[in-house]
Amino acid sequence: MNTPSIDFRPFVEWDNNPFILFDPKGKILYLNNSAEILLGYVSKKELFDLALTYAPQNFGYKTTSIALRYEAFNFYSITVGYENEEQLAIRFYNAPRLRNHTPVEKEKLTLTDINLLLEANIALFKTKNSNPLQLLTDPDMPQLRIDQNRFSKLLRKVLESFRASDSIRIELKLLVGEHVIIDEQKISIAQLSTMANGRYVDHDKEIKILSEECNIRSNLQESSIKLEIPLIT
Amino acid sequence: METFYTDSPQVQQIIQGLNLTRTLFVSSIVIGEPHIGKKTLVTHLFPDIPVVSGKNQDEVEAILEHSDELIITNFEKLSNKENLVFDNKRIIATADYIGNQKTIDSLFAFIYMMPTYKERPEDLKHLKTRFLKEAAATLMLDASSYTLSQLPTDLTHNSKSLKRAIYHYLMSRNMSKKEIEETLFTYFLEHLEGNNGYKEYVGMYERPLIKAGLKKYGSQLKLSEILGINRNTLRKKIHEHAID
Repeated sequence: MNTPSIDFRPFVEWDNNPFILFDPKGKILYLNNSAEILLGYVSKKELFDLALTYAPQNFGYKTTSIALRYEAFNFYSITVGYENEEQLAIRFYNAPRLRNHTPVEKEKLTLTDINLLLEANIALFKTKNSNPLQLLTDPDMPQLRIDQNRFSKLLRKVLESFRASDSIRIELKLLVGEHVIIDEQKISIAQLSTMANGRYVDHDKEIKILSEECNIRSNLQESSIKLEIPLIT
Repeated sequence: METFYTDSPQVQQIIQGLNLTRTLFVSSIVIGEPHIGKKTLVTHLFPDIPVVSGKNQDEVEAILEHSDELIITNFEKLSNKENLVFDNKRIIATADYIGNQKTIDSLFAFIYMMPTYKERPEDLKHLKTRFLKEAAATLMLDASSYTLSQLPTDLTHNSKSLKRAIYHYLMSRNMSKKEIEETLFTYFLEHLEGNNGYKEYVGMYERPLIKAGLKKYGSQLKLSEILGINRNTLRKKIHEHAID
């Protein structure tokens, strides 16, 4: 096959599966768009170490089935390869995401200032808990359509999971460059992260159910809960 | 509109929460013992929202049919809570107790626990001042003759017992001899019966008389002189009425 005139770079660039090219010292020579987002969740060193661990013994490529999870990213496999001593490539294969089957009924959703709901829930939390709580929010966050009651219940459950935690940190930010497709429309995503030194897991099931009902993706970790909220307008 | 004062940080957080959600369509409930100001608080914050008691099941259901905002007091009294639909409505409820936690949890987004007056002593001052003014005005007395520290603090039934105790305190200190006699007359008229009435009820005069005398004069000897009775008779009566 003779393909010298084709530049494959854009295909790699826009591949949804992260791809990174390292030099022998772990410096990144190239990364595609998806890998750029991945690096927001995991360190460069960790990925380089991973590539070294799963690299083939000789020049060539090796694919290994391995379940990896970096916050919102879920991979089921990686391919590591090198053709010379100067470049080591790693490609991650996204695990299929479970589709959310809750239909979006826009007419039942109310245009809402999410900061207001957040503040009200923090006030509720403070009536029962005196844990130090830090809120980092984006005051310019656009309004979004949401079931206010259900979303408030979700926030309550999330905060209650941190009822005995010290130094709770809540962050609300727009996930730049990330979107979700709802009803064939590209929708921006806001991320609400609640983090502490640890948390209770007794509400996890309810958090997952309520999230799904609100079309929110939840990511529940040992000491954090992250909600990816579609900014439906 | 009823006024509501609070210096309690916990209650202030509840007010902040309710104020922040006043433009939102969410359901909130304030739960706490009877007579701690739950209804006063929500009607003060939401003076324009209709108020219905949970005792009136039909009325609650009828209003929910066509209105998107409602205050439901005594929510614990409603019998078909599970079938209520609060979607896209502004509901503020008050309840004396939680009842079925699961139901409350699924119906309400904001569940506030209101502390009792025992747990918020900072609010007692406001309440005592209010009741003193109110009682003094009703009984046509001068409120300034009393200090708050003098007043009793009966919180067994929260504000209800406190109010009663303050009225009682003011009345008992302002009764004339004639009024005391009238009170006793009414009491005996209702209660006197059996075959040992004299012995049973004479203590009602003697006990306060001896107790007050002992407090005022300190010694039995002095009191027997004041009362003009024999010391042994006084001692016998103290023993009889089990006075310390």
